[in-house]
Amino acid sequence: MNQPLSHTDAQTVTLALIAVLLPFAAFVINFLVLGKSKATGWVSTLAILASAVLGITVFFKVWDKQVMHVQYLWFTIGTTKLYAGVLLNNLSVLLLALVSVIALPVHIYSTAYMNDDEGYGHYFRYLSFFCFSMLALVVVDNLMLFYAFWELVGFSSYLLIGFWFTRDSAVIANKKAFIMNRIGDIGLLTAIIILFTQYHTFDIAALFGSDGLIVRSVITHGEWVGPVGHIPAVWQYVAFGGIFLAVAAKSAQFPLHTWLPDAMEGPTSVSALIHAATMVAAGVFLLGRAYALFTETELTILAFVGCFTAFMAATIALTQNDLKRILAYSTISQLGFMVMAMGVGAYASSLFHLATHAFFKCLLFLVAGIVIHQVKHIKDDNNLDIDPQNILHLGGLRKKLPLTFIAAIIGGLALIGLPLTSGYLSKDGILIQSFEWSEGRNIFFKLVPTFGLLNTWLTAFYVSRLIIKVFFGEFRLQKMNPHIKIHIGDGSWQYKLPLILLAVCCLFPLFSLNPLLYEDAWLFHGFFQINFLVRSNMYHTIIPALVNVLSIGVMYGAWMLYVKRNTWSVPQTGFLFRMSCNEWYIDKFYNRVIVKFVLILSDTLYWFDIKVVDGLVNLIQSIGIAFSKMAAWFDHYIIDGLLNLLAAVVQGIGDFARRFQRGKVQYYLYSMLLALIVVFILKILIWT
Amino acid sequence: MITLTHFMVVSAGLFCIGLFIIVSKKNAIQVLLGIELMLNAAILNMVAFSRYDRVNNGGQMFALFAIVLAAATTAVALAIILNVYRRYKTINPDEINQLKDQ
Repeated sequence: MNQPLSHTDAQTVTLALIAVLLPFAAFVINFLVLGKSKATGWVSTLAILASAVLGITVFFKVWDKQVMHVQYLWFTIGTTKLYAGVLLNNLSVLLLALVSVIALPVHIYSTAYMNDDEGYGHYFRYLSFFCFSMLALVVVDNLMLFYAFWELVGFSSYLLIGFWFTRDSAVIANKKAFIMNRIGDIGLLTAIIILFTQYHTFDIAALFGSDGLIVRSVITHGEWVGPVGHIPAVWQYVAFGGIFLAVAAKSAQFPLHTWLPDAMEGPTSVSALIHAATMVAAGVFLLGRAYALFTETELTILAFVGCFTAFMAATIALTQNDLKRILAYSTISQLGFMVMAMGVGAYASSLFHLATHAFFKCLLFLVAGIVIHQVKHIKDDNNLDIDPQNILHLGGLRKKLPLTFIAAIIGGLALIGLPLTSGYLSKDGILIQSFEWSEGRNIFFKLVPTFGLLNTWLTAFYVSRLIIKVFFGEFRLQKMNPHIKIHIGDGSWQYKLPLILLAVCCLFPLFSLNPLLYEDAWLFHGFFQINFLVRSNMYHTIIPALVNVLSIGVMYGAWMLYVKRNTWSVPQTGFLFRMSCNEWYIDKFYNRVIVKFVLILSDTLYWFDIKVVDGLVNLIQSIGIAFSKMAAWFDHYIIDGLLNLLAAVVQGIGDFARRFQRGKVQYYLYSMLLALIVVFILKILIWT
Repeated sequence: MITLTHFMVVSAGLFCIGLFIIVSKKNAIQVLLGIELMLNAAILNMVAFSRYDRVNNGGQMFALFAIVLAAATTAVALAIILNVYRRYKTINPDEINQLKDQ
C-alpha cells in the first residue's frame, strides 16, 4: 500500500501534518511553559492562524486533483499489520480547511471574550487541544486512530462545557454531554469491531474507497459477503446501528440530542466553535466517511431520523427564551437537515450545508456572545438580578451594537436561506434533492421533503423572532428599570474582526459566483455524485421560489407580531406551545424513565451489595470469628490444659519426691528402710 | 533348752527396737543408743552361730572385734555430737539441717 509519492505530494502531506500538529504544539507550550499568562491566547491564535494558512494551502493542492494516502507500519499483532497514516481526499481537506478557518476567528474573539476570566490559560490550552483533536480526526486514515481522536474530541468538549466547573449547572451539563457521547462511542466501537471482523483492516481508504472492500460486498441470502469473508447479514445492520448511534450522539440527532442545548453552559466562544461549527459536524463527517456502508433501507432510516430531528428542534426553538438555547436547537435542526440530506443521497449537498452552516452558525454564536457579554456588563454595573441570556429582557440593540446587528442580520438570513447568502445555496440543494428522492415513491416518503420544507419556514420564524427580540423595538430592560446606565458597544477589534470575517464568508461569493443557482457552487464538483446538478425538472425552479417567498412572508408575520404588535398574538397556553416550550418533554421523559430506572437499578444493586454480598462476607466473617473463638478455647483449655496437667503432675511428683529430701536424717533412714522392705517383698514374691 | 531359734528371736527383737529408736527419737544420743542396740543384735547373732565353728571360735573372735570397733565408733560419734551441740545448741537431728539443698 506504500506507493512512492512524488516530492510535491510528500510536501503536501507534511504541510497537512504540520497543520494538525501546530495546535498540539500550542497546547504543549501553554501547558508546560506559559501557565496562566495572557500570552497563551496569542500562542494558540498564532498556531491556529498557521494551521489555517496551511489548511487552505493543502486544500488547494488536493481539492479535485488527487487523493493522497500515506501510511506507515504502526505495529504488528500476530499476522495483523496495523498502519497509521494520513488520508487526504476531497472530504478531509474540505474539513481540514473549514475547521482551521472557523477556529481562527473564534480564537481571536476568545482573546477578548475570555480576557477577564480567571481560567484564561486553561481555556486556550483546552481550545488548542480541541483543535488538534478535530484536525487529526479529519485527516487520519485508520479507524483505530479515528476512534481515538473521536474520543479526544468528546473529551475536550467535556472539558470546555464544564469550563466554569464551579457552577452546578455546568457540571451537570458536561456530565450529560459526556454520558450521551459515550453511548455513541460504544456504537462506533461496535461498528469498528464488526468492520474489522468482516474485512480484517482498519484502513478507511481500503474500506470505504470508491472501489474499496465495502463497495465490493453484497448482502445475499442473509449473508454479508465481502471480498475476504462473509458473516451473517445481521452484523451489517448492527454496524449501521453503531455508526448511527455515534452520529446521533456527536451530531445531536433525535434520541441522543438533549446534551447539546445543555452544552451551552460553556463559554459562548466554545459553543460557537465546538457545539455549532465543528465538533457536531464530526457526526456528519463520519456519515460522509462511511457512506459506502449504508444500504438503501438504512439511508431511508437516516433520512427519516434527520427529518424528524430537524422538525422537532425547529419547533422547540420557536418558544425558547434563552438566546443560546434557541441557537442550540437551531443547530440541532440544521444537523438534522444534513443527516436527512445524507439519507436522501444528497451527499455533496449535505457537506456543502455543513460548510456553510459552520460559518453562519459560528457567526450567530459570536453575535450572541457579544450581546450576552454586553448585557452582563449592564447587569454588573447596575447590580441587576437578571439572566443575561434571556431575550425577553433585550430589544432595540441595533443602535447600540450596529456592527453586531449587521452580522446578526447576515447570519440570520443565511440560516433562513435567502438569496445572496450561502445558506440559500446549500439548503435549496438539499430540499430539491429530497423532492427528487421521494418522486416515484409512496406518500409516506413524501413526508421527508414536506417536513423539510416546513422546517425552513419554522427556521425563518424563530430566526426572525430572535433577531427582532434582540435588536428591534425598545430595550425592555431599560423600560423595566429606567434608571440604569447603559454604555455598551461592539467592543474592540478582537470582536469586530471575527464578525466581519465570518459575515463575509456567509455571503454567496465564497461558494458560488451565481447567487441564485446552487448548481453553480464549486463545492459540488469535488464529490462523486454530480448528476443532480442538471436542471432536469421543475423542482429546481419552484422550490427556491416557494421557499423564499413563504420565508419572507413568515418573516413579515414575525415582524408584525413582535414589533408592531397590532395583529393576532400567539396563545401561550395551548398544548403545542407547552410541548415546544418543554422541549417535547424528551428530557423529562429521559429523567422520569431512563435516569430513574438507572437510579432504581443502582439502588437495587447497592442494596444487593450491602445486604447480600456484604452480608455474605459478614456472615463468613462471623463464622470465622466463631470458629476462631472455638479454636482459641480448644487451644486454651484442651491443648494448654494437657500441657498444664502434665506440668502439674510433674510438679506434684516433684513435690512428693522432694519431701524425702528434706535434709532430715531420720527420713532418709525411713526411706532406706522402706526401699529395703520393698526389695525384700519383691524378692520373696518373685522367688517363691 | 535354749535353741538357736531363741537367740535369733531375741536378736531380731533387739534389732527392731534399735531401728525404731533410730527413726523415732529426737535426741542424737538416743539414736546412738539405738545403733548400739542394733550392733549388739548382730553380735548376738554371730556368737549364736559360732556353735557351728567349735574349732576356731570365729564367731566369738569376730564379736570381740566388733565390740571394740563399736566402742571406738561410739567415741567418735559422741565427739561429733558434742561438737554439733556446741555449734547448734541442740542435738535434735531434725534441726540439724544445714547440709541439705536449700
